[in-house]
Amino acid sequence: MNLEALRSSSPLLTKLSNTELAFFESVSQEVHLSSGEVLFEEGSQADNFFIISQGKVGLEITTPGKPPMIIQTLGPGDLVGLSWFFPPYRWNWHARAMADTSLVAFDAVAVRRKCEENRDLALEVLGVVASELAARLHRTRIQLLDLYQAP
Amino acid sequence: MTSPSPAPSIAPHTVGEAMLPRPYRVSSRRMETGDTVTLEMVPDDGKGLAFLPGQFTMVYVFGIGEVPLSISGTPRDPGTLVHTVRSVGAVTRAIVALEAGDPIGVRGPYGTGWPVMEAAGRDVLLVAGGIGLAPLRPVLYEVMANRDRYEAVSLVYGSRSPADLLFDDELHTWRSRFDMEIEVTVDRSDAGWFGDVGMVTGLLPRVPFDPANTIAMLCGPEIMMKVVAGELGAEGLGAEAIYVSLERNMKCAIGFCGHCQFGPDFLCRDGPVVPYSRVADRLRVTGL
Repeated sequence: MNLEALRSSSPLLTKLSNTELAFFESVSQEVHLSSGEVLFEEGSQADNFFIISQGKVGLEITTPGKPPMIIQTLGPGDLVGLSWFFPPYRWNWHARAMADTSLVAFDAVAVRRKCEENRDLALEVLGVVASELAARLHRTRIQLLDLYQAP
Repeated sequence: MTSPSPAPSIAPHTVGEAMLPRPYRVSSRRMETGDTVTLEMVPDDGKGLAFLPGQFTMVYVFGIGEVPLSISGTPRDPGTLVHTVRSVGAVTRAIVALEAGDPIGVRGPYGTGWPVMEAAGRDVLLVAGGIGLAPLRPVLYEVMANRDRYEAVSLVYGSRSPADLLFDDELHTWRSRFDMEIEVTVDRSDAGWFGDVGMVTGLLPRVPFDPANTIAMLCGPEIMMKVVAGELGAEGLGAEAIYVSLERNMKCAIGFCGHCQFGPDFLCRDGPVVPYSRVADRLRVTGL
């Protein structure tokens, strides 16, 4: 699918050269989820990753007998899924659409294989994933401070 | 573009007048959350209180004590003083317990206001955390009353949980407007929450603003404001276009006693609203 429209809002796609973008286009497809539909399940194989084009996805943790707890929500332009880049390539969380949501799904296996062949591309992708991890870690640390509680 | 309406005139105080509470009476009380109320108060003498969005008053519970509280009502109704108060200590606990008809003393208004006039012709980005939405609500009232004078208007609001959200009804009303963007997030969700979860900074990419033509107003915990200001800076918004509201131990409220000194500023007089460019370095100093 054509990724040009998403390029400006996605840190990953922004970094890619035109040749790399063409490769990513060749291993991508559009996915539409209705509100409440599951995108992936905790523990399952991380063979895809996603960029949200519209809508919202919640990352959830579940325990038996209790409603799922949303730990983070992601919106347009956000990368959904980081575990696809690191062994053992399994999802740590459930991901569920919290509204009618459109995403671009990428074949993570193909991207990993391409990264093995092309170290420059691997560095670009690693840089984006690491940057996203750092940003999420930073926000999580701030959240852990529980700033809004009464002093 | 039309020029903004002039700010309400604020009568100068003598020191004696400034230290003397005026008698008010609670006219209505609304529970916002489990520990926070919004009180409407009217003056016994019927003389209203002109104020600027962002200013505060000193509210005196007779026999208990006095605290600074930011005004959370509209400047367009000076006859009704509105405060949104969270119970965190002896005085605020007493204020939160007040009922309609109860007497209270009020001094002020004091301090600097948000740059509502300066924001005309620009994008307006408000970022609030927790009880910090209360001092920004007067800005929303003013901006909405003069909506055509501003470009894109956005509010990003973070709260501890869905149960801690302030002004729930108004958030729904503001969200239903097509001329402003409202994004709300919580740190911890519950089963009935379908909104966002995460820090306010995660929502900044979703709201429209042109870094070259935006005034941002931030109110909430200082750590939150520092982080948000940092992210806005990374997006190209200059520190001089970012305003924060700082609180310290305000006592006299007229810049005499020094309890609220923050570096060279007395925040009761030189604040609470200050450009981030003026205080960014100080907010990294642990000894202040």
